[in-house]
Amino acid sequence: MEIEKKNDNSIINIRDLVFEYTREEDDGVVCAVDHVSIEVPRGSFTSIIGRNGSGKSTLAKNVNALLLPSGGSIIVDGYDTADESVLWEVRRRVGMVFQNPDNQLVSAVVEDDVAFGPENLGIPPDEIRTRIKDALNAVDMYEHRKMAPHLLSGGQKQRVAIAGVIAMRPAIIIFDEPTAMLDPQGRGEVMNILEKLHADGITVVLITHFMEETIGSDRIIIMDRGEIALDGTPREVFENTAEIEALGLRLPFAVEIAARLRARGVFVPQGLLSMRELADDLVARKEGAR
Amino acid sequence: MIRVENLTHVYNKGLAYETKAVDDVSFTVEDGAFIGIIGHTGSGKSTLIQHLNGILKPDSGKIFVDDIEITNKKTKMAEIRKKVGLVFQYPEYQLFEETVYKDIAFGPKNLGLSDDEVDFRVKEAMALVNISFDEFAERSPFELSGGQKRRVAIAGVIAMKPAVLILDEPSAGLDPKAHTDILNMISMIRKQTGNTIILVSHNMGDIAQLSDLVFVMDHGKLASAGPPSEVFADTAFLQGIGLGLPPATEMAHYLAARGCAADNIILTRDELVDFLAETFGSGGEAK
Ligand SMILES: Nc1ncnc2c1ncn2[C@@H]1O[C@H](COP(=O)(O)OP(=O)(O)OP(=O)(O)O)[C@@H](O)[C@H]1O
Ligand SMILES: Nc1ncnc2c1ncn2[C@@H]1O[C@H](COP(=O)(O)OP(=O)(O)OP(=O)(O)O)[C@@H](O)[C@H]1O
Ligand SMILES: [Mg+2]
Ligand SMILES: [Mg+2]
Repeated sequence: MEIEKKNDNSIINIRDLVFEYTREEDDGVVCAVDHVSIEVPRGSFTSIIGRNGSGKSTLAKNVNALLLPSGGSIIVDGYDTADESVLWEVRRRVGMVFQNPDNQLVSAVVEDDVAFGPENLGIPPDEIRTRIKDALNAVDMYEHRKMAPHLLSGGQKQRVAIAGVIAMRPAIIIFDEPTAMLDPQGRGEVMNILEKLHADGITVVLITHFMEETIGSDRIIIMDRGEIALDGTPREVFENTAEIEALGLRLPFAVEIAARLRARGVFVPQGLLSMRELADDLVARKEGAR
Repeated sequence: MIRVENLTHVYNKGLAYETKAVDDVSFTVEDGAFIGIIGHTGSGKSTLIQHLNGILKPDSGKIFVDDIEITNKKTKMAEIRKKVGLVFQYPEYQLFEETVYKDIAFGPKNLGLSDDEVDFRVKEAMALVNISFDEFAERSPFELSGGQKRRVAIAGVIAMKPAVLILDEPSAGLDPKAHTDILNMISMIRKQTGNTIILVSHNMGDIAQLSDLVFVMDHGKLASAGPPSEVFADTAFLQGIGLGLPPATEMAHYLAARGCAADNIILTRDELVDFLAETFGSGGEAK
């Protein structure tokens, strides 16, 4: 296993993963992940999108060994998630921010919640204090450090949950819809944090229903009914206009506007992903034509 | 009609971490209006609307729904619930029955409807939120994905057919198609029934497109109220309180700063595409 670790540039290696839930009422089987293989390069930024129930969260929970494969395997930084003796090594490397922050906040005070992870890692108290401060400042919640988490509103809780993960300084952070409950400013802040973490070398996996949030990623994987439906760079993936819609998704704002303009006979080149790229291109073209 | 008079709600009164979540808020909502409520996280939106169906009691102030003062202790909760339906921000926590069917049927059953009527409403609501009856009716609501749970919870409220439908971030966590479906569904319910709708959302585009009136909350206060064309014209104000512009409006602003200004404020994608086609299309429209 050590050898594998040294030779492998991929920090997450998912091989032919199958995950089945057993339904309680009738012991029926729900196949949530169906023969999926993904290699995630160290330090990369991968977005996973897909309709409700397509298997994104299940996949994520398999990566940090909250769930164990029904078939296939997952190797995280050289450690097999199914190997119980290295469970700690896996958990240490994979931080998770879940869809709903309520399930993640456990302590009576915000700063204790952020300290919870680092304490479990055996980090010395001085260092923990620094980490709490940095993490809470990063999510703009430092002034709330003495508050009880259950008294916070949805958006505030989500920011504390992210701080708790940041404070563990994991190699990989999986964000499962981290901005779903945030106001526009909070959403921008979290995306900035996410990009900053990526720039600092952390491997980022972002699960989201906001197409805009994926346009800065290295790669987008689209899940559908437990399988991978599309896999490529944002430019490649969002060229499949009809398929995107058939998969229950939508084009990012600028890509949709560009497509609608083309349908109206306005020339717009392919591959413009952000609002600014599109606007700049339109303005430049108009000025060039003069 | 809903009338809110000087409503104030304080959490943990007298304790060190006392929070004035709603601070002297007054407004009226006409029958059949579509109200959008926006505000930064923690601004008091959820606290405010939970008063409208009597779940929370104010520290001071009054609320009238039609002629009933729901803040009066003598008013029966059942009577309020019939009029005002509320889809909570995290509706998945309201799920409690052992099957999806029973969960959605719970509300209508409590209204004393016949079994046939209940059955009809459950099926109708499931169709509206696009949860397949055959696949999900007998499933446990706890063993669903996040988005599926939310749809089931919304169906449970819709099935009661309340005259006032309040939705707190109903599309958070839904995939883009479901998001569009839910918004279309809300518009459709409104068209069919003329119901009053109150939508709380962080999605400025949705609010701009759907609302007749937008209420802006800031630190517990009603900071502004007006039609979208007014509220979303004040960029500095919105950004100053943690909010932003609808994407179409933002793009129009960006273009205006580069010498391509539109005559009127642009709020929706349709308006933006029209403006762009006119401004940047050569030789007009080639449909
Ligand atoms: N505890 C469970 N028991 C049985 N089936 C489950 C359970 N949790 C999820 N499922 C099923 O597994 C499939 C995948 O669920 P998952 O939560 O991974 O989807 P998702 O892509 O994260 O969806 P969403 O966008 O709604 O969060 C769904 O069909 C869901 O109904
Ligand atoms: N049960 C509670 N006990 C104590 N304080 C609370 C409680 N619920 C909310 N608060 C506090 O009241 C204020 C308003 O919260 P509320 O949930 O109404 O805001 P919101 O506008 O709905 O936020 P969000 O956009 O995050 O949903 C916040 O400061 C919050 O921390
Ligand atoms: Mg999920
Ligand atoms: Mg709220």
